[in-house]
Amino acid sequence: MSQGKAGTERWAAARVAANAAAHGVSGSAEYDDEVRARAVYSAEAGLSFFHTHAEGLGLILFFTSTVVASAVPWRRARALLWGLLGLGSLFPLGYLVYGVAALELGRDTGIALAETWILTPLGSATLAGVLGLAVALAARRRRA
Amino acid sequence: MSDAWRLPPLAAVLVAVVLIVCAEAGGASMVRFRVELTRWARGVMLAHPEVHGLVGVRDVDERILDEALVKFDAGLRLFHLHAEGMGLVILATTAVAATLARGRRVRGVMIVLLTAGGAGYPLGYLLWSWLIPYHGIERGKSIAEWFVWMPFGGATIVALWWLAGLVVLRLARR
Repeated sequence: MSQGKAGTERWAAARVAANAAAHGVSGSAEYDDEVRARAVYSAEAGLSFFHTHAEGLGLILFFTSTVVASAVPWRRARALLWGLLGLGSLFPLGYLVYGVAALELGRDTGIALAETWILTPLGSATLAGVLGLAVALAARRRRA
Repeated sequence: MSDAWRLPPLAAVLVAVVLIVCAEAGGASMVRFRVELTRWARGVMLAHPEVHGLVGVRDVDERILDEALVKFDAGLRLFHLHAEGMGLVILATTAVAATLARGRRVRGVMIVLLTAGGAGYPLGYLLWSWLIPYHGIERGKSIAEWFVWMPFGGATIVALWWLAGLVVLRLARR
């Protein structure tokens, strides 16, 4: 991301130009520059969020699934929690879609699409997984 | 002594997992309720003009409000970031303490310090965000520092150095 910054900016600006209608480009240089800058910024933010969330969620999947394996005694509960946590770990990919969709579909439409169809369902899977794990641990602690 | 890793006490694991749940919920709420949160913070700041040095001139006040709102948002982001991270730090470090600390009391104190310090520290960022509209950026930060970051961060730092010393001691004895 840091080495290819200039190239990414050029590519993003080219995609905005290629999807002028989606971005509401008007032909007025001052306004169009502002629209382009905001769309390029969103694409770069998507890449940056992908980087930070992929690093973090990889570790969260690694640790929480290990805790599931070690501390949840019920086979079906373990499988369900692994499924949810595994699915939720794909959450960062939503930020790649966020970056690309902001350029291809227009900033607001693209971000809304990524948030509604990818980030929210996958984020909810992670939240359900860790919440389920907390409940399982509390239940085991009560039984102990 | 066995080479196998030992599971930390269930209570510590539970605290770490609940902290991660709070971090996830915080991150999601930050996105979902961004407008409502900003509106709330702005409303409280406008109700406390003397705290923020608002003078009633739009050009001046908007700049001050914008700066405070950026810090307010930063506090929420830092809570999300630190709560995720410290949840993992609690899991990893308490596992190391449970595996390497031999004395029951030493192990217990170390795990309590790591768990309480790790769980409390991120809450300071949430407190800071909440305090900004009422007390301003600097005073809010100072309160969060004294009541949360220093005691809980201090507990984590002490426990981590202790743990590091323990690991070095183990290496030296090998």
